[in-house]
Amino acid sequence: LRQGLGRLRALLDRHVVGHDEAKGALLLALVCREHIYLEGPPGSAKTRMAEVAARGSSLGFFFYQMHRDTRLSELVGDVVLERRALADGEGERIHQTIEPGGILTAEICVLDDVSRAPGEALNVLLRILNERKFGDRPIPLLTAIATSNPLRDEYYNEPLDPANLDRFAIQLRVAGLIQSGDRSLARALVDQFADGRVVEQPEPEAVLGRADLDALHAALARIDVPAAEKDRLIEFLRRLVVDYDCDETNSLLTDRSFLVKAVKLLRGSALLAGRERVEREDLAVLHLMTTFRVPEEVHEKVPELIEEIIA
Amino acid sequence: VALSEGKRQSAGVVDPSLLSLARALRDALDPVLVAHGDGKTGLVLALLAREHAYLEGPPGCGKSALALAFARIAGARLMQASFHRDTSAVELLGSPRLRRQRRGNAERLAFELMPGPLATAEVLLLDDLSRAPGEALAPLLRILSERRAAGAALPLETAIATAGAADLESYADPLEPSQLDRFAVQIRMRGLVSGRRFERARTLLDRDGEPPLHAVLDTDQRHALQRAVAALTIEPAARAALLRAVERLRAAAGDEPALLSDRAFARAAPGILKAHAFLRGAERVEAIDVRALRFMLARRVPESLEPHVAAILEDALLEGAPVPAPPPSTRPAAAGESGRAADSPVPVPGLETVPAPIEGIAPQARARGDDDAASVENLIQALLGRLERGAVARGEDPGGQPRGWRRMRRLDELLDADPVDALLYAQGRSTAPRVYRRERRNAGGTLAVLRDVSASMEGRLSRWAGQVVAGLVRTGARRRMRMGYVEFNHEAERFEAGGAFFHRRYRRLLALASRRRAEGRTNYEAPLRSALAELRGTAGRERHVVLLTDGVPLLGDPSVRHERALARELGVKVHTVFLGLGECPEVLDEISRETRGSGFAARPRPDGRVTVIERATGPRSARGRSEQSGGEH
Repeated sequence: LRQGLGRLRALLDRHVVGHDEAKGALLLALVCREHIYLEGPPGSAKTRMAEVAARGSSLGFFFYQMHRDTRLSELVGDVVLERRALADGEGERIHQTIEPGGILTAEICVLDDVSRAPGEALNVLLRILNERKFGDRPIPLLTAIATSNPLRDEYYNEPLDPANLDRFAIQLRVAGLIQSGDRSLARALVDQFADGRVVEQPEPEAVLGRADLDALHAALARIDVPAAEKDRLIEFLRRLVVDYDCDETNSLLTDRSFLVKAVKLLRGSALLAGRERVEREDLAVLHLMTTFRVPEEVHEKVPELIEEIIA
Repeated sequence: VALSEGKRQSAGVVDPSLLSLARALRDALDPVLVAHGDGKTGLVLALLAREHAYLEGPPGCGKSALALAFARIAGARLMQASFHRDTSAVELLGSPRLRRQRRGNAERLAFELMPGPLATAEVLLLDDLSRAPGEALAPLLRILSERRAAGAALPLETAIATAGAADLESYADPLEPSQLDRFAVQIRMRGLVSGRRFERARTLLDRDGEPPLHAVLDTDQRHALQRAVAALTIEPAARAALLRAVERLRAAAGDEPALLSDRAFARAAPGILKAHAFLRGAERVEAIDVRALRFMLARRVPESLEPHVAAILEDALLEGAPVPAPPPSTRPAAAGESGRAADSPVPVPGLETVPAPIEGIAPQARARGDDDAASVENLIQALLGRLERGAVARGEDPGGQPRGWRRMRRLDELLDADPVDALLYAQGRSTAPRVYRRERRNAGGTLAVLRDVSASMEGRLSRWAGQVVAGLVRTGARRRMRMGYVEFNHEAERFEAGGAFFHRRYRRLLALASRRRAEGRTNYEAPLRSALAELRGTAGRERHVVLLTDGVPLLGDPSVRHERALARELGVKVHTVFLGLGECPEVLDEISRETRGSGFAARPRPDGRVTVIERATGPRSARGRSEQSGGEH
């Protein structure tokens, strides 16, 4: 079962140097069928990773570059105006419908530079992501990968509003290898390009099929979550709220994310590690949930907090 | 007991099977969602009374899930509308119908809406209502209250709207009071985690998958229930209690905006009270049913009053009780009629009101905080007026909210055009169609707030300073200004967010504003230098600094010459606010004058309020002009 995932990981490693955490998070998102949000400065391989992960999994793929004028219709298909004569022959009925396309028909999508789209416009898109249905129609989407630049004035972007950010269960920051000062990785990256190994490989081959993903998803549901780990999850939340003063004004500790999706991610972490039950070390995935949901200084202490709870 | 049973049979008001149906509806909601009892009961009351309901709460707390499950269990045909920026009235109301009639060589074109999904919905779920532009909402809300569309009565029983809590960092505009008032039942929901209900949260973790939902009612049964509820009579004592309760709520709200409308409390409240009495198993509405008002109040009374609502309602009940007031613990029971125990043999979850302590009723409890807010309100208003002056509130922007119509300018705007216009245009039958005129607030300007936290800034002064900072943050948020915050005494402490001094994390700034600290001595130079250094790296015309202080500078350059010159050079307006009893230092006036900022002095009065004086710093006064030109040499 995990061979497919291994192949996808190898594909990611072949195309992108470093970024261990982000690659792991992408696999986790695919396995759990959750959405993921990557934020990082320009040129830090966010889009590249998203694309490789998406294309490597042979799913119906949709890529959209967000821009300032992004409108819903560009994402969901074509607007169709339908005219029908009225029965009495003295007029017509005009009906506006949408011919599904874009994210309505994709299984995996990459939404690039998501914060460039106007904040209000995103809401409906992210609602579709969240509910995985459009109107009354369920959509086949499994995972959406969104990327964004950090909020700085020079990028002309707008922050996602808090409710929207919550739709992405997994969230993380990505830093460029050169910027983060990792000499050996930066060297490896330079080597790769200098040797011409990554000349343009625009279409990474698909290494993971829909059947593999379905099997993984079925396995996910079978993973046991012992009561002790549920208690630890609650303890983690209690500590954030009580000891670190996370409340509605500064954090986004929603029931949907931390009582429903968190359990799924714990299972996903166990599955990726090849286990049939959640163990205490799986709690480390909670760090991928708090990135933009608690104040920055609290997020920095989350690994420490998880260590304490595990101990 | 015998008497009340006899009456029930002879009047035939309450059919026991109907009562059990209503309770089955309420009980069936419990397995669906952990906690949120008020939300569940509120929806049942709304359906029984054929009123609309509004659920407000943070994202992911189960608002929509509750509403969807409710419609399913009630066996009602559901229409769900998700609101977003581009929601148009047409989408909600149905397809447009274009009627063409030839009369001789003239053609008459008429345009009307064919009722769409609204025509069949019995329960209407309006998800994220506050995200829709006002233009789309107005006709919809009209239809909701009339329950008629295109000349026909609608089968609509209850509309349930959900909305996120008002949030500084969200893009949605809050709903207007006139829109909110159409929702009789209003409930505020909280998350289990953020509400610190960890034990309930733990039970949620143990749930595996969604529980199955089965309808417990059908349309005929719902109608029978609604008829039975409407047929209940309201005792004079209950009417009097209702009026007393509303009167008390009004008094407790004081000057703060409250939405205690006739529509809600004279027209809708009796229905809710009847539903409450029905669910209780009573045969007529008694005074104790006034407790149901708490299901109507989420956005009608100020949020600060919310913890006291139950106590206020109990108090109103108590006043009309026929017996002398017994000790507090038994008051709620005594306030009801003597037959209450017999009328309500089965306790209904969600209906038993927690007997709230009568002591410590709202007005006294809130008095201090209110006074502070009121005292500095004038100051905040005056200051904000200065900041906002000259700034255009909105600008046209393709990504903004639709705020009206204009003619199409570019072909790609056809997607955003009125469908009928677009069709006529495509047929060559009309000139450029109407498209939405989209506007958004100008993401306007940059504002640095410098707050004195020296030792003398303590007690009331510190609270006032906090209020002023909070007011500035709210205005900044409204205009989406980038804001920076510095606290200073002998040195300046900068507060960054996300690695930047200027940012839009307004909630974080609000949290900082409420902090109290008072230590050290005053130094103007350090904070001004720090803020101006940051402003140097920014662009834009609207750049402001607000300096809040209570004393003369004891450290640093007391006349801050360099900083004044730098502010002038950068075109940054420095507004000064002097809080306190002493003399306003001359240098503050000079700073404001030279940088074309405004200057205020706020002086505490013996009665605890504050007198606000705008200092003559503007170039309008002759004295100001002469000194300003002097300063520039």
